[in-house]
Amino acid sequence: MCGTCGCSDPANAVSLTDPESGAQSLLRQRAAPGHAHSHAHGHDHDHDEPHVHGPHGEVISLEQAVLARNDEIAARNRSWFEGRGILALNLVSSPGAGKTTLLERTIEAVAGKIEIAVIEGDQMTANDAERIRAAGARAIQINTGAGCHLEADMVAEAVKKLDPPAGSILMIENVGNLVCPAMFDLGERMKVAVISTPEGEDKPLKYPHMFRAAELVLINKIDLAPHVGFDQARCQENIRSVHPEAAVMALSARTGEGMTDWLAFLRRQRKGAAARA
Amino acid sequence: MHELGLTRNIVAIVSEHAGARRVRRVRLAIGPWACVEREALSFCFGIAAEGTVLAGAALEFLEAEGDAFLIKDFEVEEAA
Repeated sequence: MCGTCGCSDPANAVSLTDPESGAQSLLRQRAAPGHAHSHAHGHDHDHDEPHVHGPHGEVISLEQAVLARNDEIAARNRSWFEGRGILALNLVSSPGAGKTTLLERTIEAVAGKIEIAVIEGDQMTANDAERIRAAGARAIQINTGAGCHLEADMVAEAVKKLDPPAGSILMIENVGNLVCPAMFDLGERMKVAVISTPEGEDKPLKYPHMFRAAELVLINKIDLAPHVGFDQARCQENIRSVHPEAAVMALSARTGEGMTDWLAFLRRQRKGAAARA
Repeated sequence: MHELGLTRNIVAIVSEHAGARRVRRVRLAIGPWACVEREALSFCFGIAAEGTVLAGAALEFLEAEGDAFLIKDFEVEEAA
């Protein structure tokens, strides 16, 4: 429930850590979000229009998206990525599905061929950014404090620090959570959802919003499937039932099984991103 | 889970447009895939509106399509 989540507690600060230098900066004090002024909307009272009156008084039409500010920044991020031919992926999953391990193995597999930069989102600690750095890639850690998801402005700030080169891949590892990150566009090319076999086949049915938002679903820890009684066919059927167009790949970041398909997918997508730039 | 944050967004946006006028009613348009819970929004709205020009305002919902999540309009008190 929102009251306990605290993601908008004004006292909650969002911070950014560069694991290389240890430098830390405060991204924002989350007071009530201000409203961006960069887009045009009708502040002026239009006198050609007759006033509409409700039971209490004048009705003022707004038709404004509640997440307009986030979406605007996300659109800016997206055009920046597209202009430089950067493939930006938003990795979403529940905590412990193996996003960071998958990134470690991916970075090692393409070392020297493709540059990968990583934005790590977690409530606390720079542990994941440290792991990414140890695997050989540049990373920035965003700590959302009580926040349950990354937002576009956090990514914009992290990108300024990371400055990923043209033609690279930017992996945005969202906060482990299958609910809120579905709603927030970060400017990515696509969302990639990761589920792991011990979580069970019905995750897509329990969290349909997320799986509807993801273009690719990776079923991780496939090596554990026989041990945890995971039915892959049923899981794929469940994914199809909420999102028929989603691509699905099964792999194990730990054993390397199925990694070839994922790496081929990345190469293809990266080529596409470079061609569009 | 994020409804309080969303409600604060709503209060901030409407406050800005309302200026000094008291807001009596806010209408939201929400689609079936918007991923927001109306009850949670209503619960948070009272808290977020406190101490603003929206204090005591009613929050109403209109059906919309897809993942739409809009502030449709708001109603201000007529100056006496």
